[in-house]
Amino acid sequence: MFKAMLIKEFLLVSRDKHALAALFIMPAVFILIMSLALKDVFNEEKALIEYAVVDHDNSLESYAIISKLRANKLMNEHNISESYGKPKEEGVQFIVVIPKGFKNQFSQSDANNSALQIEVASDIGQSHLMLFKTQILSSVMQTRLDAVNLAQEMQHARQGKSSSYQKISFDEKKMMKVHYAALEEGEKPTSTQQSVPSWIVFGLFFVIIPMSTIFISERKQNTLMRLSTMNVSLPVLFGGKIIPYMLINQLQVWVMIAVGMFVVPLFGAAPLTIGGDLSALFTVSIALSLSAIGLSILIATVVDSVEQATTIGGIINILLGAIGGIMVPKFVMPEFMREFANVSPMSWGLEGFLDVFLRRGTLNDVLYEVTGLLLFGLVSLLLAAVVFNYKIRRVA
Amino acid sequence: MIKIQNLLKKYDEKVALNHLSLEIKAGTVFGLLGPNGAGKTTLISILNGLTKYDEGTVSVFDLPLNENLHAIRKRCALVPQSLAFYENLTVIENLKFFGGIQNIPAETLKKNIDYAVETNRLGSMLKQRSSTLSGGQKRRLNIAIGLLNDPDILFFDEPTVGIDPESRNEILETILSFKRENKTVVYTSHYMPEIEKICDEVAIINAGEIIRQGTLESMLRNDETDQVVIEIYETPLPELQAVCEKMPSLRLISETNLMLEGNSSQQVSEALTLLESLSVAVRNIRYGTTTLESLFISLTSKGRADV
Repeated sequence: MFKAMLIKEFLLVSRDKHALAALFIMPAVFILIMSLALKDVFNEEKALIEYAVVDHDNSLESYAIISKLRANKLMNEHNISESYGKPKEEGVQFIVVIPKGFKNQFSQSDANNSALQIEVASDIGQSHLMLFKTQILSSVMQTRLDAVNLAQEMQHARQGKSSSYQKISFDEKKMMKVHYAALEEGEKPTSTQQSVPSWIVFGLFFVIIPMSTIFISERKQNTLMRLSTMNVSLPVLFGGKIIPYMLINQLQVWVMIAVGMFVVPLFGAAPLTIGGDLSALFTVSIALSLSAIGLSILIATVVDSVEQATTIGGIINILLGAIGGIMVPKFVMPEFMREFANVSPMSWGLEGFLDVFLRRGTLNDVLYEVTGLLLFGLVSLLLAAVVFNYKIRRVA
Repeated sequence: MIKIQNLLKKYDEKVALNHLSLEIKAGTVFGLLGPNGAGKTTLISILNGLTKYDEGTVSVFDLPLNENLHAIRKRCALVPQSLAFYENLTVIENLKFFGGIQNIPAETLKKNIDYAVETNRLGSMLKQRSSTLSGGQKRRLNIAIGLLNDPDILFFDEPTVGIDPESRNEILETILSFKRENKTVVYTSHYMPEIEKICDEVAIINAGEIIRQGTLESMLRNDETDQVVIEIYETPLPELQAVCEKMPSLRLISETNLMLEGNSSQQVSEALTLLESLSVAVRNIRYGTTTLESLFISLTSKGRADV
């Protein structure tokens, strides 16, 4: 009896291609994506930090530090012009500005006016910033020690005796000033600011499951066919789906923002604040919603059963999240994965929300992401219309 | 009311309807019979503007179908075989939705909902979730939705599938009431007794062609046959099978009909004696006629017959 049960179960699973996809192909692709995304994190030979240096001092000391940073395998330097923009615009995580008079740090005890200025991209986490600061500090320390050693050796050569003890101190706060792009002086992004946008994007795309499930039930039950005989056109049919789910998505966004603002602080974490324009937030939400709904309708028209919709919808959601920087921050991904992330609408949605939440973005700042999301949504809807018409004709 | 001439429909190279011609008069209940894959659904789809055809002409209400699809659809309704409504909506919510989507003026819609509810005896369950209705009640809701635009033509695609005999009879009575209101009904079903009960005219379709068409009476009359139809009251199947085993010239053709091959008084007497001995009650004996089921089987198994 038990043997028969086992055989039956194996036969059923082996003939269910969607179950097989969920069990084997999805984890395999997921492993591939995550391994590629995290490929450089555990590789000592690969750079984790993308930075640029603007040297206003042009001194031997500044050159020594730049050379030491260049020699660091953890870091990859980009060339930027003197009239540089924000780190995101320059494609780097950090911009180090060496001010004029920096070399005075090496001869004066008070070096406040000649501290290194570090411009940080707003989505960079504290651990990544600490790593970068440690590298900078180490380079400066080495340079100063080299300078002190050299001075002492020269004095020794001139006087034939060792010099008196020279006190060397390193005060990180005096040595470098950190500033997050688009934030006020001394202001830091919180982990809530950095993580909530990801989960809003991810949550919005879960609309795929309820929406495609209902759409397929309507198709299977011939309700859509009945609506066609009642002169309901395709634009009305799709419009009747898009508008309610868009409203649901907006409700989701505000519920998640409310949780970030009012519930998260109850557990000791920093509250979520909206730094940018509300109009930009609203526009990104609408555009992201359209792309999620477009994808949902496309999936609903392509697959043939509710089971397929939930399986494939779930898989696509997770994969788009993994590719698009939801599960692994894009700044730890290798360059080719950062480029590849752009195939995922979740990546554009995330950048749009980060612009609003972290970079104090305006409507103008999110136009690029919004355009991409709207185009993705419209192309998905167009493809869905083509597939839907083809299937209706074939079934009838 | 519906006129189809020389209709050709192909799916790739496969011919679904082969130069089919058909006329359905206003106010009739027209039965469309055919085995699976005969072309019934394709024909219904074409008449509802869901499928395009390759050749021929179709007119409804004397209007060419393709040029007047929107106007024609406003006066027709399709009641599909599947339960094409929303199970998570209540009965009244479903009726309001399907009425609202057709842009029916509010006052007319209210009147039409009342009519649909009354005709289908749904009044006591208006606020009930559709998922909680019985099979028969769901079928009635399916029909009620088809009445919301007060159609002149109703297309029924096997509307009694999977329900108990009592609910089936209720639905057939409802459909007969449409005839009294001078609505035209096009009805497809696999249940021959249903067709015999409600249809005025029947067309038998096979392999995309009409192989027999006419009034039910004319189709069932057959003076040349030596077959006798013995109508019986409903009897358990094993007993009927026992009857047929004991007398090979008797054939079971439906749950209430036996066909006797041979019309001599001796053969009929023998059959009646046997039935009596096995406590099978006889209701009627018909000479010179056949049953729709018998006709259907003989025509569709032989292939094309003379129309």
